[in-house]
This record gives sequence, structure tokens and C-alpha cells, in this order.
Amino acid sequence: MYVRAVPTTDLNRNTEWFTYPGVWTTYILILFFSWLIVLSLFGCSPGMAWTIVHLSHFLVTYQCFHWKKGTPFADDQGIYNGLTWWEQIDNGKQLTRNRKFLTVVPVVLYLIASHTTDYENPMLFFNTLAVFVLVVAKFPNMHKVRIFGINADH
Amino acid sequence: MITIPYLTALTTYFSYGLLFAFGQFRDFFRKIFDWWQSSDLQGYAPICLGLEDFYIRRLYLRIQDCFGRPIASAPDAWFDVVERFSNDNNKTLKRTTKISRCLNLGSYNYLGFAAADEYCTPRAIESLKRFSPSTCSARVDGGTTTLHEELEECVADFVGKPAALVFGMGYVTNSAILPVLVGKGGLIISDSLNHNSIVNGARGSGATIRVFQHNMPSHLEKVLREQIAEGQPRTHRPWKKIIVVVEGIYSMEGELCKLPEIVAICKKYKAYAYLDEAHSIGAVGKSGRGVCELLGVDTADIDIMMGTFTKSFGSCGGYIAGSKELIKYLKYTCPAHLYATSISPPAAQQIISAIKVLLGEDGTSRGAQKLARIRENSNFFRSELQKMGFEVLGDNDSPVMPIMLYNPAKIPAFSRECLKQNVAVVTVAFPATPLLLARARICISASHTKEDLLKALEVISRVGDLVGIKYFPAEPMKEQREEGPIKVE
Repeated sequence: MYVRAVPTTDLNRNTEWFTYPGVWTTYILILFFSWLIVLSLFGCSPGMAWTIVHLSHFLVTYQCFHWKKGTPFADDQGIYNGLTWWEQIDNGKQLTRNRKFLTVVPVVLYLIASHTTDYENPMLFFNTLAVFVLVVAKFPNMHKVRIFGINADH
Repeated sequence: MITIPYLTALTTYFSYGLLFAFGQFRDFFRKIFDWWQSSDLQGYAPICLGLEDFYIRRLYLRIQDCFGRPIASAPDAWFDVVERFSNDNNKTLKRTTKISRCLNLGSYNYLGFAAADEYCTPRAIESLKRFSPSTCSARVDGGTTTLHEELEECVADFVGKPAALVFGMGYVTNSAILPVLVGKGGLIISDSLNHNSIVNGARGSGATIRVFQHNMPSHLEKVLREQIAEGQPRTHRPWKKIIVVVEGIYSMEGELCKLPEIVAICKKYKAYAYLDEAHSIGAVGKSGRGVCELLGVDTADIDIMMGTFTKSFGSCGGYIAGSKELIKYLKYTCPAHLYATSISPPAAQQIISAIKVLLGEDGTSRGAQKLARIRENSNFFRSELQKMGFEVLGDNDSPVMPIMLYNPAKIPAFSRECLKQNVAVVTVAFPATPLLLARARICISASHTKEDLLKALEVISRVGDLVGIKYFPAEPMKEQREEGPIKVE
């Protein structure tokens, strides 16, 4: 089955790949397959596996979306050097479909992880902390905000 | 419109994610490893921050042998490619003295002027002896020879405009002209797939830049209306001037621009139209005069026509054609005219001779034959590739045909396999194209014979099966009907 790839008007090559078809499905499939891999490698309960997936998803997406700034190539001469990937996406426009999707994914993962571990304590604390940090980082009011100057430009 | 099979899109994203993850791992360990070893920077800041060259170091260098291959002969239909080898997994490549003769499907040699030509080459050599390889001066100082004057008249005549101005380099033509034409307070609306030279020129001009969806006149109209209504950012004053920049043939898509509709919209909203005919001048149109001739647009409707001589004329350099007042203005403001060295005299003579051949003024009909041949070759090649099941972009009559590859691993696979079978292709990936849409771009030339094209088709078909890029079902070959036994009553 075929899909059409309409060229976008986003000039930022670092983020325009997210507007093509198939990204959301790939993201969800990667999460699902990593759950299966964690289950088969560690031999733990499904709940622990979801917690591990949730926490490593937190670490990876925090690092990639909210910590690393700029673009991985030098063609654009550094115009995005002060912006994280989350701030660059969709040209800085807030509350687009992509942003809403990316905000919902950690929440859904949190619900699955806490449900399958029966809301037991050490896992629940870490899961809640992770989802809290991720969702707050994605608020429209946090656009270009650097708390206490952490990760600010020099 | 590019149609991707859904599974291919998913696997492409996954492959890039995997490559990215591996790159990050290696960077992480490299940072730890380097922390143990002292750095000898002596207090200077590093040239690039760790993230800026991530793509080059971790993705491009792995398949570096597919790009930048040195050639050892003129880029004719067949040429010599120098073989290279690497001892450290493609981080550095060393040339050998061995060459392999390959079919050239990558050079912009649309009319076959890239190799020695019976009319152009003797005249270029004569002008080399008379004027020497370089004028050693800018146009305003001592760099205008009779050849330059003749060339500008010739180009203006050929393109259909009152006057023209010629520069030594095609990229510089765009990036030095746009800042002169429009400045702060102006608006540049450019197609989303415009070439890097236009993007750089627009950024350097200081004007506000807006982008409209590729080849969609309706979106251009929407953007124009919105921008005219809003005015300049923050002050909301009316724009000083508005320029719409489009290309004749888009080099990565092979598509023609929808020129009649776009010019109509520009006229309606009183915006200037700038047409970049780098790939289409000389290659399309009945007498080779570009997209305006092909699509039936009057050249007086387009305010600034730009083009390059690299593609169809076998030379180097670029030109701007427009009204006499525009060219007079450019002659005293454009930095490429005032400070850059003028176009080399043999190159100028090559262009003049090539234009004469195209127009038939050399006394033969070779020009018309070349134009007919490139049209036939392009249409034949494109239809054959599509019949085999490849996804080929581009309109009919366009000599540029990208074959979609998509997955990052198929790029080096296709390139290396074709080279092994003596066909040289150019593959393009991110960031020159969008992430998903990596492609192999084939440029057909008038100097390709039918046997060359058939050999290319056979090799590409075999490599395509091996690599797995026949995304569409192939059309079945017409079965030969056997003569049954004739009934004898």
C-alpha cells in the first residue's frame, strides 16, 4: 500500500522529516519492539519491562528533544544553534498535531507502565517523575525557557 | 508527487534511527576516550561544536566512496573514473593510478558539448591562444574583451530579452544578484525546493523570506495574499518589493515548473518573477530556448531570467537577462561584476559557438539534431524505466530523471554495484534531499547512443533487482504470439 509524500514548506532539514507519513507508526512500533526485546533479554515481568521502556524512553527523548541544541549538519550556518529540537519543530509554532502526538506518547506509556506494575511504589515514583518532566518540558509556555540558566547559550 | 510504499517509509525511518543511534554511541565512547588523552588545542576553541559535523562524521563518511569520485577524462558519454581504495573504513580515500571506463549517467551534459566538438573546440582553442586562459581582471577594470560583449549580445538574443549580463560562476550569479535586487523591507517568496544558491542569496539579501509549497500556484497565491495583507513584520508597512523565485527544471525532481499559472499570479499581485533556468536553458523547448518556449510563456512577462552555461553549453558561468535598465543598474551595483574576475575567454567562446550550433548558424543542422535526440533519449529512457517498475520522477521531455531509492543502505549499494558494472551514477541523500527521499539522479545526454541507453537500462534493471528498488509492479512484456499450425482443409 502506497502513501503520498507531499513536500513541506519547512526549510529546516533537521525537523522536516517529521512531517512525512509513517513517522508516528515507526515511533510506536519502535517502542513496542523495544518492550519485546527488554522482556526477552531481562526475563522480568511485563510491568518491569514497560517501566524500563518508559524510563529509557524518557532518557533518550529528553536528551534528543530537549537537551541537544542545533542541527547535525553545518549547511544552515548555525541559525538554529540556540534551539533544541523541540523548539525547532514546525518552525516554532505551538500546539500542532505533531507536538500534541509527541506529548501524548509519554503519558500513554506512563499509564501502561503504572497499570502493569499495579502502581507499586519504587517504580511509580520514577515513572511519575519522568512523565512530569517530559510533559512540562513540552508546554507552550516553556518555549525557549532555560530554568536557572541550565543549557543556556554562552 | 512521490508515492512511497508504506513499509518502505517505516523501514527507512528505522534505518536512519539505527544509524543515528550508532553514531551517538560512537561519539559517546569517543568523548570518553578523548577525555583520557589530553588535547593539544592550547587554549583555542574547537573549530566545530560536537553536534555540527555529526552527520558528516557518522553517516556521510561511511559511504564517502560513492561521492566525489575523481574522473580522468572529459565528461562525455563514456569517461574514465579513477579507482580509489581505503585502509581505514572510508575515513580517508587514496587514489590509485587505475582507471575504469564507465558510462556517464551523472554529468550535466545535456547536448553533448562537454567533449570535443568539431565546431566549438577549434574556436575555443583559437580564443585561448588569442586571449589567454584568464582575463586576470574584474569586468570594470580590464576584464571586458570583445568576446564578453559578443557573448552578452548572443545570450540576450538567444533567451529573448533586451540585454544580458554574464558572470564567471553560476552559483555566484544567484547569490550575488539577489542581495542587489532586494534588501531589507522586501519580500522574497521562493519555491520550497529551490537550489542552495537561491537560498543563500535570499538569506544574504536581508529581505524576509517566505516559502510556498513546491509547484503549487494555489499555495503561492495564498502566501502572496497573506503577506501583502500583513505587510512587513512588526511595522506592518507595505513591502518595498516582492520577488517570486522559481526554477525552470528542478534538478532533484526533474519536474518542470508550472510557469504560466505562476506568472499569471505574479502579474495579478504585481510581484516580480525571477526564473532560474539552470537546467532548462538549451535542453528543452523546440529550439532550446528553455521552459518559456516549451510552456508558451512570453519572455516579456518574466522580469529576471537567470541561467547557467554549465549544463547544456559545456562551459562554465551564469547569466542574467532582463530589460536594458535592469542590466545597466546591475552593472554598477552587482559585486560579482565589479570585483569578481570575468568569465574566462575560451569558456566564453565555447558558449558563443555552442549557441551558434544550436541555432544552426554554423551551417549544419547538428543543433536541431541534438535537441531532437535529447528529447527522444529522455522520453525513451524514462518510459523504459517506468515499465520495469522503478519509481522515476520528472515530467516528460525533462532530461533529469531521479530514481527513488529511499533506504539509506540502498544508496551505497546501488552506487557501488553500478560502478562494478561500469555505469557511473550520482546518488543524492539527506540533507540535499528530504530524509526519506534519497534518490539516484540520472542525467541523459544527446551524446548517448541507443546502445548506451540499452546497456544502462540492462545494468540498472539488474542492479535494481539486486538492491530491491522496483517499488511498482513491472508491466508485463507483450507476449509473442506464436503462429499456430495452419489448418489445411
